[in-house]
Amino acid sequence: MTAVDERTTATPAATAPRRTSRGPGALLSVLAWIVGLGFFFPVLWMVMTAFKTEAQAVTIPPTVFFVPTFDNFAEVFGGGVGPYLLNSLFATVASTVLVLLLGTPAAFALSLRPVKKTQDVLFFFISTKMLPVVAAIVPIYVVVNYLGALDNIWTLIVLYTAMNLPIAVWMMRSFFLEVPKELLEAASMDGASLWRSLREVVLPIISPGMAATALICSIFAWNEFFFAVNLTASRAATVPVYLVGFITSEGLYFASLCAAATVAALPVVIAGWIAQNKLVQGLSFGAVK
Amino acid sequence: MTTTEAPPQAAPERQTSPAAERRDGWIRRAPLLPALIFTIIVTQLPFLVTIWYSLQSWNLVRPGSQRFVGFENYATVFTDSQFRGVALNSILLTLGAVAIAMVLGLLIALLLNRAFLGRGIVRTLIITPFLITPVAGALLWKSVLFDPTYGLVNFLLSPFGAGQTDWVSTFPRAAVIIALVWQWTPFMMLLILAGLGSQPPEVLEAARMDGATGFAVFREVTLPHLRRFIELGVVLGAIYLVNTFDTIYMMTQGGPGTASANLPFYIYQRAFLGFDIGESAAMGVVTVVATIIVATLALRLIFRSFSAAEEA
Amino acid sequence: MADVVFDQASRIYTPGAKPAVDRLDLTIEDGEFVVLVGPSGSGKSTALRMLAGLEEIDGGSIRIDGENMVGVASRDRDIAMVFQNYALYPNKTVAENMAFPLKMAGIDKSDRAVKVKEAAEILGLTDYLDRKPRALSGGQRQRVAMGRAIVREPRVFLMDEPLSNLDAKMRVQTRTEIAALQRRLGVTTVYVTHDQVEAMTMGDRVALLADGKLQQFASPADLYDRPQNAFVAGFIGSPAMNLFRARVTERGVTLAGREVALPQDVRSTIGSKQLTEVTLGIRPEQWTVAPDGGEGIPARVDVVEELGSDAYLYGTLAESSGDLSATASLTGSHDDSVVVRTAGRTGARRGDRVALTPSTEGLHLFHPETGDRL
Repeated sequence: MTAVDERTTATPAATAPRRTSRGPGALLSVLAWIVGLGFFFPVLWMVMTAFKTEAQAVTIPPTVFFVPTFDNFAEVFGGGVGPYLLNSLFATVASTVLVLLLGTPAAFALSLRPVKKTQDVLFFFISTKMLPVVAAIVPIYVVVNYLGALDNIWTLIVLYTAMNLPIAVWMMRSFFLEVPKELLEAASMDGASLWRSLREVVLPIISPGMAATALICSIFAWNEFFFAVNLTASRAATVPVYLVGFITSEGLYFASLCAAATVAALPVVIAGWIAQNKLVQGLSFGAVK
Repeated sequence: MTTTEAPPQAAPERQTSPAAERRDGWIRRAPLLPALIFTIIVTQLPFLVTIWYSLQSWNLVRPGSQRFVGFENYATVFTDSQFRGVALNSILLTLGAVAIAMVLGLLIALLLNRAFLGRGIVRTLIITPFLITPVAGALLWKSVLFDPTYGLVNFLLSPFGAGQTDWVSTFPRAAVIIALVWQWTPFMMLLILAGLGSQPPEVLEAARMDGATGFAVFREVTLPHLRRFIELGVVLGAIYLVNTFDTIYMMTQGGPGTASANLPFYIYQRAFLGFDIGESAAMGVVTVVATIIVATLALRLIFRSFSAAEEA
Repeated sequence: MADVVFDQASRIYTPGAKPAVDRLDLTIEDGEFVVLVGPSGSGKSTALRMLAGLEEIDGGSIRIDGENMVGVASRDRDIAMVFQNYALYPNKTVAENMAFPLKMAGIDKSDRAVKVKEAAEILGLTDYLDRKPRALSGGQRQRVAMGRAIVREPRVFLMDEPLSNLDAKMRVQTRTEIAALQRRLGVTTVYVTHDQVEAMTMGDRVALLADGKLQQFASPADLYDRPQNAFVAGFIGSPAMNLFRARVTERGVTLAGREVALPQDVRSTIGSKQLTEVTLGIRPEQWTVAPDGGEGIPARVDVVEELGSDAYLYGTLAESSGDLSATASLTGSHDDSVVVRTAGRTGARRGDRVALTPSTEGLHLFHPETGDRL
């Protein structure tokens, strides 16, 4: 965490106007901390509750000091979250790999050696994100059912790939555009074929961007719920679907609910903390750096 | 000076033949095609099928009931008062969440756009709600925070005389909006923070040299600069939020009744709980048409932002 | 090593529009250092990039060692290029950057190391071989780019404004280094710049381009002494040559009401073309300055630039010494403003009135419409 923090303060703070932290400045700093803790508090409370007993989780006033217990996590894992986690992991990794395999060449064709009508293609990709998925779910369901691919993890992988591809293309394109054109020219003067110059010169430059893209696509895939809940049942269900089981807990299972939610959220929270500098770039399709 | 016998006015013969140009075009296009074809098949074809289904009367509960009915489903959809209420909910939830998240995001971004101890930590804390799996976040709000008996919110408000308010069933839309705002404010904040970071410090210094006070600098210099980022945040927030499904599913199930249902949730109910394929397809088409109208305007805006970003 | 020939080479971005490079003819000898110079948009960079294989050759041909380069990929041309922003590979060390072309040529690792070491010694980069480009100063990066070009001993060096990202002092130093290095290696070099001082000091021959067309291709001295047209005359030399519109008279031309005598041969050329006006060019150093009232064209000094070794007087010509107060303007039309180079510290001051006489051998005459030398 400290490594992440250092990095995040380094970049934007450098351009931010600096003022001294005295008088009203100190007050604002305190306010910023209060706001930050306020936003984080529900998450903190969730994690705390996950370590309480069910009885401690529902006391009024709430229990703040307690001896942490791992019983809830034991119960969550004992209660079969494992297959859901594995499904989520597989769907996330496989769809992200597919997105990069399809998206990187496409982004290249829309940046360094652009095709004609590049703008139209980009427009098309972004427009697919604007159409509500709900309008497509019925035929998708019918087709998937017809193909006998309901409750199949590959169905989710294909859909997640399509869902994340526009983001990846836009984002990767913005990274490709940052590669100076002269580098490719220099490599070709130096005798490298296009393929070699891409591998030896361009790839090392864009690989941090690719990593960020992969991380953001992973977050989306991991968190996806709509397709998962409608197209899977038991075999291919992912972690968000697992959480549906806690929908009617009514104060009885707060602790195990929180443990399950913590397990579900933890991977993406960590991924997001690492990728936070690129998060906006991904979500804004690369429009904001 | 060289004055060789040049063929006067003769257009220099082109070295690239049309065939070579066509080949070059395909070489350029080849890396693009897999992604493009994949996207068209997975995202566009289903929409076309949706249009076809919307013209059928087809309920999965009654096998063999499928028949062509023309625009009957659309007539039903438009006379369905629930559908109109749900459409209104969609707009309310989207606009409400986007507007509040944007205002809060802007204020927090301004608060964080200064050097202070632990700035990175505070930023990391604030973005966490955005990363939490929405299903988990909704579950957290519904039970641990909003529960009428054991919820933290009622406990924290008890000194102010709040009793055992059942937030989720009494104020379902507000409850959903609160959860969405909690989730989306960090995104707006990050966007605005990026905008503030991209502002050249010289401009601010110049404005101060020109005698502008802190607030005047903000109004005259910073806010116009942020306009693009605010627009982008509103558009992107709307794109993502209009499709909200998980939060409603987990918190209210659209209820009570359809009081907090939005279009995605209502269509889902009709298709997967009511098994009415024809009618839900018609609703889907209506939603798409409405979205296209809004999105065309939005895209124009967004593309201005993108081209500006690329010029920068 | 090789000779390079541009034969009617053209680059047309949009068919029908003005070509970026218009039927360029250049013959560059083996081992020669040729500078392409011109204002921005003149096509000099495009011409270089055509030779590099980075731009199509839409018409004519370019030959290296007699071999036609049309349709030949950059990597097969055996030429090296130094880019304006150096285009160093940011993820490779200095040594890896310099070794890259050798690696692409399939030369084995130990041989690569030897050649890189040699080049690094020549360029004074030995201590920096393990660094990444971002840890180097501008001048060092420039030398790495040079190093990457020289290790592979190409047939031709191409340099595209390689000094423009350096500060003034570094630029002068590197200018001489590059020229010396080229002479030592003897590799044919084509060098693009917009800076006429670089062109004059570095090139064996200089090709001056404007609007995609070659204006003159000659040695620096020829370019300076015998500009082929008014454009060349105005571009080469700093401060620029004074160019006046002058009316033709019996014995010569009139400049600001005073007759300037011309030699017989020039007068007959003018006569044969039946010109009534010509463009008269006089370089700043070709004037003799006398005190007011003396022999010559009366002028008023508006600005004095004292450089130490010499001084530039920026003034205004007048029909007679009485006119001067009326035309008291710094931004006067080109026809009556004049630049004169004198020795330093002559004591000339702003507002002084002087009499100017051009030297007879320093007169350049150009056609008033075409600009061609008469």
